[in-house]
Amino acid sequence: MIVVENLAKIYEDLKRGRFVAVEDVSFEVAPGEIFGLLGPNGAGKTTVLRILSTVLRPSSGSARIGGYDVDTDAAEVRRMIGFVSNNTALYDRMTAMETIQYFGRLHGMSGQRLADRIEALIAQLRMDEFRDLPTGKMSTGMKQKVSIARALVHDPPVLIFDEATLGLDVLVARNLLQVVRQLKEAGKCLIFSTHIMREVERLCDRIAIMHHGRILDLGTLDDLRQRHHEEDFEELFFTLLSRHEAEHDLLAEGTP
Amino acid sequence: MTLTESDAPRLKTVGLIYLREMRDQLRDRRTIFTIVILPILLYPLVGSLLLQIAQFTQQHAPRVCVIGAENLPARPALVEHAELTPRYRDAAQSIRFTWLDWEQLEDGGDDLDVPGRAERYVDSGQYDAVLLVPPDFQLHRHPDRSGQPLSRLRILTKAGADGALVAENKLRSLLGRWRDDVVADALAAQGIESNVLKPFAIETSSSHSDPGTAMLWSKLLPFVMLIWAMTGAFYPAIDLVAGEKERGTLETLLCSPALRSEIVWGKLGAVTSFSMLTALLNVASMLITSSFIFQQLNFAGGGFERPSVAALLWLLLALFPLSALFSALALAVAALARSSKEGQYYLMPLMMVTLPLVLLPMMPGMTLHLGTALIPVSGMFLLARSLVEAQYLQALLHLPLVLGVTFCCLWLATRWAQRQFEDEAVLFGDSDQWDMRSWVRHLWRDRHPVPSIAQAYACGALVLVFLFFGKMMISGLPQDTQGLAKLILLPQVGLILAPAVLMAIVLTTSLRETFRVRMPALPSLPVAVLLGFSLHPLYLSLGQWITRLYPIGEQTKAALMPFTTMLEAAPLTHLLVLMALVPAICEELVFRGFIFSGLVRGGNQMRAIIITAVFFGVSHGMLQQSISATVMGLLLGWIALRTGSVLPCFLIHCTNNALSVSLSRIQDLGWWGTQYVFVTTDDGAPGYHPLWIVMSAGVATVCLFYFYALRCNADQEAAAADWPDPHPLHARRVVSDPGLKPIA
Repeated sequence: MIVVENLAKIYEDLKRGRFVAVEDVSFEVAPGEIFGLLGPNGAGKTTVLRILSTVLRPSSGSARIGGYDVDTDAAEVRRMIGFVSNNTALYDRMTAMETIQYFGRLHGMSGQRLADRIEALIAQLRMDEFRDLPTGKMSTGMKQKVSIARALVHDPPVLIFDEATLGLDVLVARNLLQVVRQLKEAGKCLIFSTHIMREVERLCDRIAIMHHGRILDLGTLDDLRQRHHEEDFEELFFTLLSRHEAEHDLLAEGTP
Repeated sequence: MTLTESDAPRLKTVGLIYLREMRDQLRDRRTIFTIVILPILLYPLVGSLLLQIAQFTQQHAPRVCVIGAENLPARPALVEHAELTPRYRDAAQSIRFTWLDWEQLEDGGDDLDVPGRAERYVDSGQYDAVLLVPPDFQLHRHPDRSGQPLSRLRILTKAGADGALVAENKLRSLLGRWRDDVVADALAAQGIESNVLKPFAIETSSSHSDPGTAMLWSKLLPFVMLIWAMTGAFYPAIDLVAGEKERGTLETLLCSPALRSEIVWGKLGAVTSFSMLTALLNVASMLITSSFIFQQLNFAGGGFERPSVAALLWLLLALFPLSALFSALALAVAALARSSKEGQYYLMPLMMVTLPLVLLPMMPGMTLHLGTALIPVSGMFLLARSLVEAQYLQALLHLPLVLGVTFCCLWLATRWAQRQFEDEAVLFGDSDQWDMRSWVRHLWRDRHPVPSIAQAYACGALVLVFLFFGKMMISGLPQDTQGLAKLILLPQVGLILAPAVLMAIVLTTSLRETFRVRMPALPSLPVAVLLGFSLHPLYLSLGQWITRLYPIGEQTKAALMPFTTMLEAAPLTHLLVLMALVPAICEELVFRGFIFSGLVRGGNQMRAIIITAVFFGVSHGMLQQSISATVMGLLLGWIALRTGSVLPCFLIHCTNNALSVSLSRIQDLGWWGTQYVFVTTDDGAPGYHPLWIVMSAGVATVCLFYFYALRCNADQEAAAADWPDPHPLHARRVVSDPGLKPIA
């Protein structure tokens, strides 16, 4: 469903000059699978996902979703995905209902079909109490539910969650993970990025560990454990990161 | 994001976005306040304030003390029984008089004489003015031999005091009238009729029923409307783009299926609506309020006339495209900002730039003609004015032109806005704090073979600023050829070429690539010379047409006269070097070299051609020259793009200038055949024979076809070499967050 090949993104930056945010990133995600992107802040996760959601263009490499290229068929790609990120805020002066309706209409839905879909989402996410509340007056948890409903309204085959649990309390975060699992059971193709290891351990079928814009390793939890002879995932993660860091330093010393 | 996403915007989505933006703005209390409540309240409040002030000034009657009224002659009587005679009362309406006796005041008990006492009255503010009638006041006294002057009445006031001027003026007009009567009496006494003094009367009237208000409305109303249309566009534009960026809702919209163009059109519609709404509400509120106020104040003789409904409708029609234009500009500029606060900073300069276009039509003597119709915004403004003044034929004649210019600007502005929405750097540029050191380091470290876009703009701006100050510093005209050489070489080399060369040395890694000194396809060089020759007749005709459109002022002509005569006297070789070779080298290297190579980066060829031409045009200083130079600049830019080199442009430029300075001399040679090529125009300047113009236009077209067929990738290659990779990727990467907190 999602095929990413040798993706790279390069910026020119005042402080750092030419800055490589993402480099040589390749992975595939199948329907019914939750793919986890794990990495510290600034690892390039958000950049990869922004490229997948067609908000940014890749500098090189390609990414296809459902056969559509994110660069050349951006409009088609956007129809196929639901993107939830903590960068995608909601309009403060619109109610939950209006928000979901608006994005449903942007997706070309209308009439009874849209109304039914909204009712279903409100029931599924238990949003009935605050359906007519302006989102500006909502708590973070409520907002997150509206965001998810907004991303799900057109029932897309692909869902991308970028640091979706950031800033949520334990209860709401648990709820969100529950929703993600339900979506998986419904056969959706999911990408879930986070810097919290526990979430990845519990949720994801396969995991890519990212650092400095590169994927350090990729596989199922068991694959990774076997490959690195480390049962404790947290230890595994740190070993990988520090080994990369050491190589990185070595390389930096080697260049004049 | 993608440029391939060129699908036509769907009306339904545009409408959806438009409606949402409108609803969102209408739910915002601040917007409603500034756009709806403020105008409704503002004018009545200002109006009532005005009325208060008016009443205040009316109530403030000047206090005048008259000392020695008993010394005034009995006939013609000005004062009777301590009161003005009825004949003069209306002239001195609202003056509060106090009558004091001269003799009594003189015996006041202290050392002060009467004038001293009067001075004290005025100084203390007890009276606004004191009128002194001295005891020896006498009408028709002849100056005697001892130089004794005429009898005088003295008005004393305190300089700078509030009521002094009013009091003095009223007294003067009162006394003036009395003096007229004295004169008339004296004439009558000698048997001369008083009409000797007034042989005829002067009366003013105008064909319009009410000249005062008609003029006022046709000028003021469009002005107020445009100012409010501008203001009304700014705040929603900032909120809808910069504000959304700040709040993070823009990314949500960007990853929805709405196309970038649909987002831009939807937002543009909303901003335009608010711009128009603001303008209309303000004008309506102003009209209603002012009609009441004018009636109260008896303005224009009480005959206040509201503009007709037709006039208002015309204004409304003119308002729509202008509102849309302001909105598109505001939207594009607001997109550059990362927060609402930043947006406010950016929109102020935009306002400063557009304000002259709004103020220009307010200037006296500005009417709608071919020249003014071509000026954006001003043209539409003047068109609206002639409609309000019911000059329909004139308006209709210029309508296509004004509409063409307006819609062209509108199209450019919306394209610009749309580009902003397609630019990642604009949408997601980080708002890192800017600091001098890292910026300088960045300039040095990240140098490329060709300048960056920003550096190209900076170079153009720098050259223009230098030229401006250079022009200011030139004092007097040169006396000889040497002086002339200095006058031309200094700006060309010192102010145009030098900054660009310095920038190129410091900021780029390749002078050749920066100045685009590349060898083009060989035939393009002779073809360029041919084009230079064949284009010159057209260029000359263009120049003549432009001076007809925007005539050069007599003053400027006179100032240029010595310069022209000096050019005619200078040796031809000197002229060719100074007027053709040097400008062609300097200007081409800078405009089609440095600036063009910077602007063409990123593949935006249109931008490179247009902006370079504008810089080139403005650098010519005089409006008439600037316009033709801009047109020439467009062509030179296109050829620069086609050939990938500055050399053909240099040849065209050089040939063109050389022909311009030597045309009259070639004509004077009197060779056989010149009579078929040249004619002398009405103003004595040399020109081309119409037949020759047509022929050379044909040759020029063939040359242009040749250039059209050329393909050159030199600029793209230079841009591709943009990323020299001196270090392996890893070494360049920044370790951002090595320590990661484990989360339980």
